Amino acid sequence: MRNRGVLVTTWLLLSTAGQAMADDAPLSHDASQPIEGEQIYQQHCASCHGIDGEGMPNWQRPNAMGELPAPPHGPEGHTWKHSDAMLYRMVSEGWRDPWNETERLTMPAFEDVLTPAEIRSVINYLKTLWTPEQQRHQAEESEGASFPMQSE
Amino acid sequence: MKKMMSRFWHTLSITSGAIIGLGIASVAAAAEDVLPALEYDLTGARLLKVNSSQLFESTNGGDSWQAIPLPEAVRTGQLVVAPAAAEQTLYIAGPSIGVQRSDDNGDSWYRVDEGLPSRNVIAFSAHRHQVETLYAKIADDGIYQSDDAGESWRKKDSGPVQPVRRLVHSDMEGSMQTGWLYAVSDDAVRLSMDCFCGWRPTGELDADTVYDVAYEFDEPERVYVATDRGLWVSDNGGKAWLRIEGDAPELVAITLAPEGTLYGLDRVGELVRSNDQGRNWRAIPDA
Ligand code: HEC
Repeated sequence: MRNRGVLVTTWLLLSTAGQAMADDAPLSHDASQPIEGEQIYQQHCASCHGIDGEGMPNWQRPNAMGELPAPPHGPEGHTWKHSDAMLYRMVSEGWRDPWNETERLTMPAFEDVLTPAEIRSVINYLKTLWTPEQQRHQAEESEGASFPMQSE
Repeated sequence: MKKMMSRFWHTLSITSGAIIGLGIASVAAAAEDVLPALEYDLTGARLLKVNSSQLFESTNGGDSWQAIPLPEAVRTGQLVVAPAAAEQTLYIAGPSIGVQRSDDNGDSWYRVDEGLPSRNVIAFSAHRHQVETLYAKIADDGIYQSDDAGESWRKKDSGPVQPVRRLVHSDMEGSMQTGWLYAVSDDAVRLSMDCFCGWRPTGELDADTVYDVAYEFDEPERVYVATDRGLWVSDNGGKAWLRIEGDAPELVAITLAPEGTLYGLDRVGELVRSNDQGRNWRAIPDA
């Protein structure tokens, strides 16, 4: 794994996510461990999406710069609406809302920062934040739209 | 002719075939008027109109209309018609009828709503390009999507909390998935990418009732909205609306033909046409 050296400390402080793991829902065929995904999340994602995945305040409305803030990843957000393929693409290539007033990728691209396995791993961690029903819905959305490069 | 109009449905839709919607609306709105609906069918190069629970087509820009038979189940109430990308194929939807399809331009109809939890379909749209993808809003429930022309349906979203009278799929760029859906409610037009990852309000409209929305086939960022206070236009998919200063009567249904010709229906189903982006309108007499 790359980037381990830069590991920040925040993730050590809290690790509540395991408790949200629902064992009655299919997460992914991927073998990566959610705990590793959680570490990646705390290191690379929590600064914007919140240490508990709670998102930024007023995330549904554009901020003063005319940009949509980082949304939550839990049940109140809409991360669970996206297939594995789509989630992978957004984390890998980044994303910005087309109505943003700026041109920059507000959701940064992580393809040069994380390995494909790490991207899958952090997405699998996000799945632990959803309700079992949302996990099921997302698993169905991912039929025919799974992670690319499953083998890596 | 029964003058039963309801404020629920009209038409428009955009696959290259045609969708028709019958709308009865939710219980709260059931007592209100049933509105006519209008849709341009690209595949058939024709206008489709629903008025007083009857369906008509016109291939000469509204100069004359021919009736298309509807399923027997249709009596009164709101209807939406949607063209499908195949020739002769039409969908009709509405609270009294659910969703039905015809492959022979109305000679026969069959149900394609067995997979829906209810027939109380208050809004309906076909995907702009994907022939088999349909969207149906069930009253007090949510938006269901079919990817196999109605054989099976899956709930995708609960939809905006406001009652929706009109759903319109668009292929405007910028979506995470394949396009966008406009949802028209009394108070506003809302927009979501077709991944259903969040409804956003479109720009402010100074109006009490919003009736219908339509966009240009070749330039989907250009969107028109019909309200009780006139017509509005947007050049950015609805992010901001500009009021059109023109002589349009109060239009409750609008649709666009290629080359930007705008058609509208007033409350009693009379057709008007504008060739200058909604400023000047001409009545087209009912032949
Ligand atoms: C610099 C701030 C920032 C960082 C760091 C960041 N994100 Fe984002 N992320 C955003 C913003 C802002 C959006 C919303 C973009 C939009 O829709 O305009 C977003 C959107 C997303 C979405 C789409 C959510 C949805 O519901 O549509 C996912 C998934 C996501 N981020 C995952 C991650 C992951 C995983 C990481 C860490 C590897 C991460 N983000 C790191 C800012 C960030």
